[in-house]
Amino acid sequence: MKVVYNWLKDFVDVTATPQELASRLALSGTNIGGVENGAHGAVIEAEVSSNRPDCLGHLGIAREVAAIYRLSLKHVAPKPAEGAAKASDAIRVEIQSPELCGRFTARVIRNVKIQPSPKWLRDRLEASGVASISNVVDISNFVMLELGHALHTFDYDKVRDHKIVVRRAKHGEHMRTLDGIERQFDSDICLISDGDGSHAIGIGGIMGGAETEISFSTKNVLIECAWFEPVAIRRAARFLKLHTEASTRFGRGADPEMAELASRRAAELILQLAGGELLAGVVDIYPGKRAPQKIRVTRSEILRVMGADVPDKEIEASLGALGFAPVRVDQNRGAEGSLLAAWESTPPSWRAEVEREIDLIEEIARIYGLDKFPPRLPPARQGAARLPHYEAETRLRECLIGLGYREILTIPHVREERDALFRPAGITPAHLSNPLSEEASVLRSTGAVTMAAALEWNLNHGQRNARFFEIGRHYRLHGSNPVETRVLTIGATGAAREKGLYDTACDFSFADLKGDLDTIGALAARFTWSDGGPSWLHAGRSGNIGAIADDPISRTSFGVAGQLARRIADKLKLRQDVFLAELELDPVYAAMQAAKEARRYEPVPRFPAVERDFSLLLADGTKFSDVTETIQSLGIGEIHGIEATDLFRGKNVPAGKYSLLVRVILQSREATLTDAQISDFSGRIRAALETHLGAQLRAS
Amino acid sequence: MPTSDPGLDKTLSALGLTQASEVAARFAELRAHFDAQLLEVHDEAGWKRFRDTWLGRKSGVLTQITGNWLKPAAPESKPAVGAALNALRAHVESQVEERRAAIECGAEESALARERTDLSLPGVIRPVGSHHLIRQVFQAIEDIFFSIGFSVVEGPEIETPYYNFEALNIPEFHPVRDDMDTFYLDLPKGAPGPLLLRTHTSPMQIRTMERQKPPVRVIVPGKVYRRDNPDATHSFIFHQVEGLAVDTDITFCDFTGTIEYFVKQFFGPQVTTRFRPSYFPFTEPSVEFDVSCPFCGGTGTAAGGGTCSKCKGAAWIELFGAGMVDPAVYGFVNYDAKKVSGFAFGVGIDRLAMLKYGIDDIQVFFQNDVRFLGQFP
Ligand SMILES: [Zn+2]
Repeated sequence: MKVVYNWLKDFVDVTATPQELASRLALSGTNIGGVENGAHGAVIEAEVSSNRPDCLGHLGIAREVAAIYRLSLKHVAPKPAEGAAKASDAIRVEIQSPELCGRFTARVIRNVKIQPSPKWLRDRLEASGVASISNVVDISNFVMLELGHALHTFDYDKVRDHKIVVRRAKHGEHMRTLDGIERQFDSDICLISDGDGSHAIGIGGIMGGAETEISFSTKNVLIECAWFEPVAIRRAARFLKLHTEASTRFGRGADPEMAELASRRAAELILQLAGGELLAGVVDIYPGKRAPQKIRVTRSEILRVMGADVPDKEIEASLGALGFAPVRVDQNRGAEGSLLAAWESTPPSWRAEVEREIDLIEEIARIYGLDKFPPRLPPARQGAARLPHYEAETRLRECLIGLGYREILTIPHVREERDALFRPAGITPAHLSNPLSEEASVLRSTGAVTMAAALEWNLNHGQRNARFFEIGRHYRLHGSNPVETRVLTIGATGAAREKGLYDTACDFSFADLKGDLDTIGALAARFTWSDGGPSWLHAGRSGNIGAIADDPISRTSFGVAGQLARRIADKLKLRQDVFLAELELDPVYAAMQAAKEARRYEPVPRFPAVERDFSLLLADGTKFSDVTETIQSLGIGEIHGIEATDLFRGKNVPAGKYSLLVRVILQSREATLTDAQISDFSGRIRAALETHLGAQLRAS
Repeated sequence: MPTSDPGLDKTLSALGLTQASEVAARFAELRAHFDAQLLEVHDEAGWKRFRDTWLGRKSGVLTQITGNWLKPAAPESKPAVGAALNALRAHVESQVEERRAAIECGAEESALARERTDLSLPGVIRPVGSHHLIRQVFQAIEDIFFSIGFSVVEGPEIETPYYNFEALNIPEFHPVRDDMDTFYLDLPKGAPGPLLLRTHTSPMQIRTMERQKPPVRVIVPGKVYRRDNPDATHSFIFHQVEGLAVDTDITFCDFTGTIEYFVKQFFGPQVTTRFRPSYFPFTEPSVEFDVSCPFCGGTGTAAGGGTCSKCKGAAWIELFGAGMVDPAVYGFVNYDAKKVSGFAFGVGIDRLAMLKYGIDDIQVFFQNDVRFLGQFP
């Protein structure tokens, strides 16, 4: 709402500069967008909040100014000269839907001269950013901006039978509005119709119809000034996608008492600027008249909510200036500052949203000044708690960052086709019913889908090395229940190590991914790997991840890792290998927690370790885990570790076989191992490998 | 190095040195000889030979003197020979040790000069990762509120209209809903009711109060969604931290004090705060909360003159909305509005991060370009 500084002076003798005034308004609750100096003086851009429809006119803002500066507000009491003929003989009004229209007033002015507006009126409208059309139309805009109440003028002669019927629309009924658009209604919309009521001439509280519009040939004018039910107006405006100055004002709750006054003010101005004869009286159908409610406000409640006191005088002055007519009602009347003090107030008709004591306290506080309530830090009554998984998540995040992964945040809205590439079979994704675009029409059902996109974005922007992780959620539907699951997603591509002064380059490989995951896995005791993986991963370079925890949820597979399938990499035009992993976090956190609780000190061995290497020729298909299990099955307590230190195929290795160098670390907690013990262990290990795995052992 | 002085393998009497003065002169000669040799010792290998020559256990000069001069000496001259030998030994030992130290330092210095590492060359960098900037700001805010007794809770991003709107005193067709354009989920037929992506973290106010009785002190970090077309200052996803404190004695003063504490912790003690009355359906009194612009010191003028670009000359920056919990909200969670009071606030994290780090495009948070991520290790 553009507040024209000079216009305010019609109602209040303000002396503060526009800048000063704007900042005082801001501190008392009228948000200010800025102050501009234009051809017609200063204009303050007031961003009026939706609970204050009374401030959508200069009178309302002036009332605020009067309250802030303790100035008196001038009364608006138009007294247009009336002719002998009665309005009630010229126009009949019937409200068939009082639940939508609580008041309807009609005045008629005959023999007006429609012509351009005088300069002062055009200036006011121009300062307010409203185009001037003709005197009568301009007057209705002027009165709306002045008093905050929207009204409508009809060409009286085009209103059939000179009868107005206010009613619900029939379903599917339509009408052409002032802006020339044919609009269709539903039965919750309030229409102004004429004659027998079958024919609509306006949408109540939103926009008039084209047929009865004022034109330069209009002779006689019908002024409609009404009150419409706010919720119905908001619903209708949204239904029609038609938001107007009128719908804003009625939609937020206009002042029903203002309807007659605004009509009178318009009549006064029309007589002044367009001449004519005002018919006597007003046709005023007012089924929605409200009885004023009394609200009590007490000092004890002010203290309880605000934490500091407000003097009696300030309470009475601020409520009084805003029209609440406070009356002290407690038994200690006359005792200033009494803790028992109570006031009864009657909210004025323009403040229908004030219904409770707290509403009055807010009024008092904002006019008194929020800065008068001294800030203090309240002591805590109880300990604070982090999220249950805070520690686990922090450890995980630190570990990943230490391993060189950067945390990313992605937007979960993705294209359906993209999501489908990564979506496990049988999963129902969460589609949006009103997406902004097809690109963002479904919530990701895996973390991998947006991780792949983040890597893609970097590759497309010349950044070929990336190691990312994201701790976020994926979203799925189980029937119609949404399920949000915390997931860790990892993505890596490009160099694991770049060529430098001291190093050669080395591309990120599946082994890097597995190693990094196993490093994380150490926080959860250990991750276990099993063959398999989703279809979006390379069939030969992927696996399922679980943990060795006792907790059965953690033990089952909760994650996948591997190289992105070529088929998908090609589709995304990724020209280098991309590695992805996704783990559900709740089981990981549970395993981390269990591992943490199970961890106990183990004394550092005091006796030296001995390494023995075994060069094995194994049949393809024999796994390293077969080797370790075979060795461990011997039950030699001195076996401290089993490592694979070299693996090769090809040259000097027969087809169908591979060569594996295995290092066994032997160590006793009791004594230094003797040569005899060591050769005994070695012999048993060799024999077991030969017997159980058919391994050929080479001298090493 | 010249080996020892001739005559060490003979006794003193065999050398014809019987007079005490003659013996003393002989020792003086040896000492001079030692001092001359010492000057020739420049490196570790030379020093080792030199040490062995003089102090070697089997055939060092001092051992020879002990064996050949002192032991066979006549009883009357023994004390003098012994004293002279001890004096010489003390001199030799101290000088040898001194020389060793000198050589060690010198060797290091000369080696440094020859092989000094080029410090302008990089070391071996083991690349570490980074926290996302939004995560860093979340953490900073969580830590500040945790330190004054706020617990951290999380909630669903997919919400019901009840939690996102109704229970927060925002009935259908409330004007505020127009400012919160909302994404809805496409649900199968027969779904119990519509679902939406929460437009703020405030639903967790309700969920928290449903779960626990006062005192309540929580913050809720999380993602929120509004159906705005993306541009430099709008994203249809952004991040918020909700705060809620409810107790039997929480007042507006406690509220402003808490917010002020947070702001001074976050922006620094020089920042001042301002509360402007505002309107939200779920708080009353409601406020918009401003801080004195931390970038121009609340003057509106940039350091080099001209208008401050951060506050656009206003000297204040609008940070977020907040207020005392509206009593109507307590009605939805079975709290007695006559007995409890509290405050709530919602901080936009992206905006805070943009302000603090001078970021002019909200989209960079979600593009995840490594060149952006690397700027905030
Ligand atoms: Zn500034």
